[in-house]
Amino acid sequence: MEDNAELESFRRQWREEVAQRTKHSRPTPAQPRPSKPSTTPSSHLPPTRHEASQREEEHGGADSVDHSEIIHGMGQLSVHHADEDAFHPPASREEPKSALEHFERAVEKEAEGKLGDSVQHYRKAYRLDSAVDKTYRNKYFAAAWKKSAQAPSSGVTPSKSADQQSQNETPILPTPELIASFAHLPIPQAEPLIENTPPPPCPISEVPSEVLVEILRHVALMDPATLCRMALVCKRFAYHFAHEQHIWRRLCQGSEFGFKSMHYAFACDIHGNPEHNLGPRYTPFPQSMPVQIPEPLSSWSEVFQVLPRIRFTGIYISTVNYTRPGAAAAYQSVSWNSPIHIVTYYRYLRFYPDGSVVYLLTTVEPREVVPHISKENVKIARATTHKQHPRHTSDATVTADALDPIPHIALEALRHAYRGRWRLAKPVSDSDSSSEDAPVEISTAYKSLPEKAAASPSDPRDLIIETEGVGPKYMYLLQLSLRSTPAAKSNQPNVSPSNPSKNTKLTWKGYWSYNKLTDDWAEFGLKNDRSFVFRRVRDWGLN
Amino acid sequence: MSAQMLTFLSNDGVEITIARDVAERSVLIKNMLEDLGDTDEAIPIPNVNEAVLRKVIEWCEHHKGDPPSTGDDDDSRRKTTDIDEWDQKFMQVDQEMLFEIILAANYLDIKGLLDVGCKTVANMIKGKSPEEIRKTFNIQNDFTPEEEDQIRRENEWAEDR
Repeated sequence: MEDNAELESFRRQWREEVAQRTKHSRPTPAQPRPSKPSTTPSSHLPPTRHEASQREEEHGGADSVDHSEIIHGMGQLSVHHADEDAFHPPASREEPKSALEHFERAVEKEAEGKLGDSVQHYRKAYRLDSAVDKTYRNKYFAAAWKKSAQAPSSGVTPSKSADQQSQNETPILPTPELIASFAHLPIPQAEPLIENTPPPPCPISEVPSEVLVEILRHVALMDPATLCRMALVCKRFAYHFAHEQHIWRRLCQGSEFGFKSMHYAFACDIHGNPEHNLGPRYTPFPQSMPVQIPEPLSSWSEVFQVLPRIRFTGIYISTVNYTRPGAAAAYQSVSWNSPIHIVTYYRYLRFYPDGSVVYLLTTVEPREVVPHISKENVKIARATTHKQHPRHTSDATVTADALDPIPHIALEALRHAYRGRWRLAKPVSDSDSSSEDAPVEISTAYKSLPEKAAASPSDPRDLIIETEGVGPKYMYLLQLSLRSTPAAKSNQPNVSPSNPSKNTKLTWKGYWSYNKLTDDWAEFGLKNDRSFVFRRVRDWGLN
Repeated sequence: MSAQMLTFLSNDGVEITIARDVAERSVLIKNMLEDLGDTDEAIPIPNVNEAVLRKVIEWCEHHKGDPPSTGDDDDSRRKTTDIDEWDQKFMQVDQEMLFEIILAANYLDIKGLLDVGCKTVANMIKGKSPEEIRKTFNIQNDFTPEEEDQIRRENEWAEDR
């Protein structure tokens, strides 16, 4: 009997603690995992408090309290400013004041590769507080500490913690079942702002499913990412997001984001002028005939997610960072330090649904140039000479989105951008595909492919880009391949793994320059080169 | 096919008389008239009140010359967000009215109007975060934090970041 009372009191404590924690922190990283029963007798009295919770008190209000808030805030960050991207300056940026703020800014700058700024902030931070790194660690990595601190305590009460958990936590359903359980839930109305007053009107909750789906379809065709955010609004939307396969089929078939605008043969010449082939254009999911979901996949949303697809809603960036020893100044007899140059440069690729592409190699940072990378602006940049201001070129090239003046730095960079064209490798599954598709091309400028390019087997994820070269007699050939970022492994047992976007990375396969006059290929070394990573840019590629 | 006039009765008991060709923008009414034959009596529209009915008729009047929509796939050729200027102005109503128009268009089976309505709502959603969407439509979040997290992970890929 006494044992039971003890158990009861422990349970109560546990519940309070869990409730307290879930109140402001999200999925409770500190949840002890149920471990298999150990030899410890179950009558052993559990510790009244977890070490971790004591630790929290030790650290005092300031940072341990807002730690959970910050984690929470960080989780929401990406969703909160839904249309924000890294390339448009945020509304306002306050200068850091405290040591911790300086340290944070320094870490941020370091991540961006701005080492000079970073060092400056680090210096300021340490001058203000010599132990700032500890504060920083407490703030951001306290969760990791907590977990290790709790592990032994869960070992003490193994059998109990297991059944505690089943009581306090609703069992986590596999996601498909969870979503299926949302099927007929109503759209919940917001509660009134003031008690006992009528709730704010929520007319959308009275809309029948077929109309909701219609709305979702329109949202999807404007921007699939918004559809994904809608799935997080309430359960009902999450259900429709997962189950309205015809929306996904429409997306796959459509030209907005889907495979209709994937080119498997070049659709324009190297300068972006459309070229018309007489042959039928290959598209994996033609709208005119019934289409099937390709073999290993089971749903259209999967097709949309998994099959190689070029994004038009942003930019692909490859950041190259390397160091190179510099020479010590000659007039110094004793060199105290040998300089090291940190070189950072970027390659940018912006694809267009018409089969053209803009390729830019520059040292100008993304924030300064990305919002301005476009075919129109390349034209403007080329048309203006150094002395001229872009505004004076008031001819037909000035289009609507070029009306706001382009900053000088971006204009300078864009002057060296190359126009080009792109295509994906045709997803041929039949075995007689030994003949390269390149000879089939009508518009290929070259007679032979470089050895390596010709030798590599065709992979449906391959992307071939041809761009202008440094002079009219050169042409550049880029061979890239679409890859996915591996899913971040979650170290929590009952949290489903993350499911990042697929095929948003472009890895290098080869890079050549072709001399049109002599029919020579020269390979560019790719020693320092990194993969391109996709980043969305506000308002790009959306209707 | 001279301008034959028809009388409709809204659910709050107001009679509205309109030309037959305008009324036939509604597939429901068109089919009903074909079944009924000519009638002089007021035709009750039980689900729609006067204000909404007048709004719907206004839209039908303006669009009476439009070619009939050919089916579901016709929008693949149009730009999806295209709402013509008149329709945009027409849809500048409060949210309750907007959804009532959508419901009426759905009930009366007026595809063009339903389309414009849904696009208008979609435009209200575009570019917003889940929290902003909830605020816009007064929707309450019915996920537990765990569920929300689970769904977020599952759907993460579609964000394209």
